[in-house]
Amino acid sequence: MDNDSLSRNTYSFGISLAICAVLNAIVVIIKESGQGVADMMKKMTGHHWITHVAIILTLFFAGGLLLNRTQLINSPSRLIQVVAGGVAIGVLIILGFYVIAD
Amino acid sequence: MNQIILMIHVLFGVGCVLASLWVFVETMNATQTNLSRIRWVSRASAACMWMAFFVGGYWYVVLYPSDKAIILKGPWRVAHNYFMETKEHFVITLLLLATYLPIAASNNLTASREARGLVQWVSGLVVVVALMAEGHGALIAMGVKEGLLARIH
Repeated sequence: MDNDSLSRNTYSFGISLAICAVLNAIVVIIKESGQGVADMMKKMTGHHWITHVAIILTLFFAGGLLLNRTQLINSPSRLIQVVAGGVAIGVLIILGFYVIAD
Repeated sequence: MNQIILMIHVLFGVGCVLASLWVFVETMNATQTNLSRIRWVSRASAACMWMAFFVGGYWYVVLYPSDKAIILKGPWRVAHNYFMETKEHFVITLLLLATYLPIAASNNLTASREARGLVQWVSGLVVVVALMAEGHGALIAMGVKEGLLARIH
């Protein structure tokens, strides 16, 4: 019963959320590690942060729509682990990175 | 006017926290009677987060540079170097989480314990990360205040 209790969008956007939360942290590290990347991102939209947001939001919505056609996870409990784990890892990487970088 | 924009940002952020907390608590006892309300409040949480994000984003890109200069010349440089740098990035994840909440709440919460569990995890994470953002915002404001006080003394 529970295997079918969630819609496909719930799975696909949940996985996309977890991936994008980690990607968000990776983009932070790449951006902060080299001034060239930050400069390039600034040139794209006028501000590096706007480019960063645009990249992550685009990936989130595109990922959610594309993953809708696949079935990477089919267990609600596994989805909860992936969503909570992805968000926790992404946020903790950001919080930890600036302790080291500062 | 700048401070009003900043307070509107905080207001919507608090709205997102309260709405997510509402969803978390009401999902514990989801029935056919309150299912529609849970879904509407989850949409309100996402709407508040998007408003807070847009208003805060405008403030950060257009108005924050002057505050940043004050912070970096004052005694609380950590307010920018750590708290603003982390906040401006983890709120992107918060925006994704709040956007996902109505999707999670669109399932039949009355029939599935695990669907309720997912909504509670997502709404709980929104509350925790949003409260963290509120705390970071308070410390950034304190950094500006300390920077201004240092000019007087």
